Amino acid sequence: MLKRAHEHKEIDVAAFADVAFLLIIFFILTTTFIKPAGNRLEIPSGAPDPAKTETKQLTISLTATEIHYGPKGEKMTLDELRAALWQCNFKARPPDRRAVIVESAPDVPYQLYFNVVMAITNADGVLAIVEEEKGAGR
Amino acid sequence: MLRRGRRIPAMVPIASMGDIAFLLIIFFMLTSNFIKEAHVVLDRPTAPDIEEMKESQISVSMDKEGQAWLQGEPCPVEVIEEGVAALLADRDDKLVMLKIDREAPHEAYGEIFLQLSRAGAEIALVGLPENE
Repeated sequence: MLKRAHEHKEIDVAAFADVAFLLIIFFILTTTFIKPAGNRLEIPSGAPDPAKTETKQLTISLTATEIHYGPKGEKMTLDELRAALWQCNFKARPPDRRAVIVESAPDVPYQLYFNVVMAITNADGVLAIVEEEKGAGR
Repeated sequence: MLRRGRRIPAMVPIASMGDIAFLLIIFFMLTSNFIKEAHVVLDRPTAPDIEEMKESQISVSMDKEGQAWLQGEPCPVEVIEEGVAALLADRDDKLVMLKIDREAPHEAYGEIFLQLSRAGAEIALVGLPENE
C-alpha cells in the first residue's frame, strides 16, 4: 500500500480577485455619469382669480420663427427678449405680478419655446400656462 | 548553534480580496440608477445659461414625432396627468424631469405642460448648455 504524506490542499483563488477587479474596472469605464442640466419651472397653480384678471400681464407670442413681445407685439430676437425681461425686474414684484403668458402657435418648435421659457425663468418671471376652454377658438 | 529548519514558502492570503472585489461590484450595482429611457432618441434643446440640476426619479419625455414616454414606457399624452399623479402620490419631492426633443411641435408638447401642471408636478426642463 502506498503511503501518502498528509498534504494541505488549497484551491488557488488569486485569479478570482483579478477577475472581480477587472469587472469593476470594466463597469467604471463603461458607465456614463449623467448630470442633467436645466431649470425648474415655477408655475402658478389654481384657478384664475377673477379679481386679478384685470391686471395687465405680460404676453409673449411665438410663431414658428418669431418672437412678439408685449401688448403691441413688438418683434424681437432672443437676446432682445432677454434684455427686455431683465428690465421688467420681476424680482421686485409680488408673486402674482411675475406671471408671463406665452402664447404659442401649433408649429412652434420646442427649441424656441425652451429658450423663451429659460429667458423668463432666468429673469425671475413665472411662466403662466394658459388652458383654452373647451370649444373656444383661438 | 541554530539548526536550520525546513524552508516554508511565504504566502500572502488573498482569498478575501476576491470577496472585497465582489462586494464592491454588488455595491456599485445596487447604488446605480439605470437609465430607463436609453431607447428614447432625443435631440435635447440648448440654452446659453443653463445649469446642472438635481436628478429626479420621475421623467416624462417626448420625441420629435410627438410620442410621449413616462418612465421610459410609451404613454398617451392624455393619461400623463393620471400616471404622474400616481407616481407623485407617495413622494415629498414633486420634481418631474421633462425631456422634449428640440423639434417637437407645440401642438404635441403644449398638452404635456398642462397635464404635469394639473398633476401637481414641479417641472424641470432638461436641456444642454449651448457650448456642448
